[in-house]
Amino acid sequence: MRCRSFVALFFISGTVIQPALAQLTPSTLGLQISATPAQSSTTDLGGQDANKEGSQRDREEQTRNERQRDEQSDARQRAEVPQSASQWLAELQNIITNANFQVSFVQTVAGKETIPYLWRHGIMDDGSELEQLNLQNGPGRELIRVNDVVSVFEPDVQPYSLRSKHINGPIPSALLYHPEQLIEGYEFVAVGRARVAGRSAQQIRIVSRDNTRFGYQLWLDESSGMLLKLNMLDLQGGLLEQIQVTAFAISQSPAEYFSRINSASLPPPMALSNAPARAHNWDVTYLPTGMREIKQDTRRLALTGQVVEYKLFSDGLVDVSVYVQPADDALGETLALRNEVSTFLTLTDGSAQVTVVGEIPLQTANAIANSLRPVNN
Amino acid sequence: MTQQQEKLSAFMDGEIEGNDIIDAIKNDEALQAKWKRYHVYRGAMRKEVSVAPQLDITASVAAALESEPAIVAPKRSRWSSIPLIGNVVPFAKQSGQFAVAASVAVAVIFGVQYTNQDSPAEPFMTAPTIAPQGGLAPVSLEQTRMLPRNDMNEVLEKKRKINALIADHEQQIKLKQAQEEEIETSEQQRP
Repeated sequence: MRCRSFVALFFISGTVIQPALAQLTPSTLGLQISATPAQSSTTDLGGQDANKEGSQRDREEQTRNERQRDEQSDARQRAEVPQSASQWLAELQNIITNANFQVSFVQTVAGKETIPYLWRHGIMDDGSELEQLNLQNGPGRELIRVNDVVSVFEPDVQPYSLRSKHINGPIPSALLYHPEQLIEGYEFVAVGRARVAGRSAQQIRIVSRDNTRFGYQLWLDESSGMLLKLNMLDLQGGLLEQIQVTAFAISQSPAEYFSRINSASLPPPMALSNAPARAHNWDVTYLPTGMREIKQDTRRLALTGQVVEYKLFSDGLVDVSVYVQPADDALGETLALRNEVSTFLTLTDGSAQVTVVGEIPLQTANAIANSLRPVNN
Repeated sequence: MTQQQEKLSAFMDGEIEGNDIIDAIKNDEALQAKWKRYHVYRGAMRKEVSVAPQLDITASVAAALESEPAIVAPKRSRWSSIPLIGNVVPFAKQSGQFAVAASVAVAVIFGVQYTNQDSPAEPFMTAPTIAPQGGLAPVSLEQTRMLPRNDMNEVLEKKRKINALIADHEQQIKLKQAQEEEIETSEQQRP
């Protein structure tokens, strides 16, 4: 609730600062609300100097002119650019799926060094789809996707491949490729125009419907639909993480780099064991809206060999892990750790230990951890 | 050989580009090992060491897990719920704590890969530090031993357990997409 009023404030102040911009881009959800006070205030100003009859006529004329102008610009806009947030996201999906592009962007997480990435995509002559994501600093980390196989090259690990239609990079792939999957958990609101990376951009706000997760602001290039900037915000509106495009190019032909990739020399995709796991005798009874279970299993932790029962939840933008262990083997105490983005919360009742890890507010992690109930199989 | 090492180093720094060196690495096992080691060193120096996805672990221990006793499900009434408002602020204030845990995670993983043993006497510090940029040497074992703490082992053990969970979470996210894909495919195959 507090967040909503804050958001409303943001809208109003945005209108005051940029009334001209607001009138140029009508009929988005946010602007329909905010454009009204801006128009009425201009009308009032005009009426102050003139006498009553004159001002009445003036006002009518002005309103009529304004309506005509709005309709004209409406028609023009409709033909040229998408209107709603979902249309803009469809534009984004379209360009990153079908275009040959090269994007340089940096990722900044509060309190950490900025990480630069190079992201390329190409459709080859034979119709195959190639994508590359390269971490540009240090020894790097390179991910190459050929159709639905992603090969990962990391400095300290044997190269390996996974079967996946998307590269799992710093930009959530659900936002890029399946924005429709996010509708259940998040609300998308087109805010209006802005200038990002030297280009005209459309801003979209993404807020979780039940206000239990962090929010996002997204800027898309107005002419191409390409992503220009993505902010992750905490519940108070503070910046947690930022992705900022520094340069991008869309070309007719795929980058020359892709022609050098020999897909036969990439490691073959691994088969992940999909053995049906023994059902846990506990379940999570509270989940934020739109979040669903991705998987569950019982296994040993790689670092300590402890046995854990594990469930992974995701809403497309954030992933949450829930671990249950016997308390004597685990930490054996109640503890919460936070950094800027992630929460690590562990609770114990003396016999079992529940741990929740993920990029969610502490309150949400606590609600999930406290919603565990025994299940009788 | 020395010439190739130099080339390798230059290639890693992005100073030269070329298929010669790539071919050389592909054909020479010693060079491959060197290539890997260099990257680990550099990664560690820049705090970029990532979690090694030990992917076969699920398969190999699946059988062993079957014989494990089931974990008793927690009962609601016994949970001590955290009073939220009271706790959020202090946690935010000591946000360094999690950063320590995360950086320790890096140290632990590093140690495991290197010494292949995970004894609690890992060479890392308990106090939050700003990582030195550039070529400063990593913290040595001696420095750790001089820290006057009696409950050192206990503290380290706790951190190790926390880090094991954080590292596992990160690994699961890395594998998530592939997993989803497999499920999709297997569902499609079913009529």
